[in-house]
Amino acid sequence: MAATDPYQILGVKKTATEAELRTAYRKLAKQHHPDLNPGKPEAAERFKRISVAYELLSDKEKRARFDRGEIDAEGNERAPERPFYRDYAEAAAGGGQRRYSAGGGGMSPDDLEEILAQAFGHARRGAGGGPGFDLRGADVRYTLTIDFLDAANGVTRRITLPDGRTLDVRIPAGVHDGHVLRLRGQGEPGIGSGPAGDALVEVSIAPHPYFVREGDDIIVTLPVTIQEAVLGASLEVPTIGGKVRLAIPPNSGTGTRLRLRGRGIGGKGHQYVDLRVVLPPAEEPALAEFLRSWTPAQTFNPRDGMEGT
Amino acid sequence: MRSEAVLALLGDLDAGELAAWIERGWVQPETGEAGWEFLEIDVARVRLIHDLRRHMDVAEDTVPLVLSLLDQVYELRARLRDVLATVDRQSPEIRAALRGS
Repeated sequence: MAATDPYQILGVKKTATEAELRTAYRKLAKQHHPDLNPGKPEAAERFKRISVAYELLSDKEKRARFDRGEIDAEGNERAPERPFYRDYAEAAAGGGQRRYSAGGGGMSPDDLEEILAQAFGHARRGAGGGPGFDLRGADVRYTLTIDFLDAANGVTRRITLPDGRTLDVRIPAGVHDGHVLRLRGQGEPGIGSGPAGDALVEVSIAPHPYFVREGDDIIVTLPVTIQEAVLGASLEVPTIGGKVRLAIPPNSGTGTRLRLRGRGIGGKGHQYVDLRVVLPPAEEPALAEFLRSWTPAQTFNPRDGMEGT
Repeated sequence: MRSEAVLALLGDLDAGELAAWIERGWVQPETGEAGWEFLEIDVARVRLIHDLRRHMDVAEDTVPLVLSLLDQVYELRARLRDVLATVDRQSPEIRAALRGS
């Protein structure tokens, strides 16, 4: 009878580290792989034992159990009956080991609950409203479009449900587009003494004419005149919390980004102000005249670094 | 279980192909300190994909479709089992009413 102790099979000490185990296993596997030993029929058996031994010892939990004598190598030495996926899949989907779910385009538990709620709702009626079958009511979905500023600052909105009830929905500050608020117990009533379902309100945020949101930050493009850009200025700038004064440093240009600290969403983000220099709307002969006679102190080419210039 | 042990179970599967399956999300082992860590369910799923590809000649781009449908079936079966277990806990009258509907 060949050795059955997995440590002996791999030729390692009981105290072998995972790396030592791996090295020993790799070496033996190379040596005994049946495909590399076509003339040795016993290699297949030997290789199997090596794989099984490594399988046991490379699994920390199994190795510990073997070391504690809770499982023996014999039970594991026979190549175990092959387990099939179905042996795990259902238990996993029911909240066991772990679930592989169908993902996008698949089904959500809510979908299934709705189907089942309907099925049992009909079943109950079919049975002549038999005694107390309890089932949770179905969830109801709504879409609520709110202003950009309401989403940024938070708001309470009243929605009217199809059955005439009204519901005050508190939208938290900084809510994201597509966020779903779950209002417990505001869905369809339950069957029997089952609890009511939930109302699921999907928030859709309307875009704003000049505020743009990036995470908790707010970006605003602020048009400035040539004078303001060259000479600097103190300007009123809109923020989601109202107007604030912003100092434009002299010699700022289009693309200069200034930060209003803490003026983003919920005081966590910032507001960034991107300057854009705007020329006067009509001809300015004096300006043109000045530019014709103007010699810059430093010459520069703003297109440096662009190919073909 | 480690990748090496999984690959040893399936002689003709190489690390590259297994890695590709993981990359596509067909198998989702955990990331351990020394690489992938396969639970029993992951190993069984690898064998399933292996069978689909090697023994049933399922085309590579069809595998996700098969897996998605299988996942839905298993999810439904688990749900149905929950429902049946719930029904089982009801009083005899209710059970009779459900059967009769």
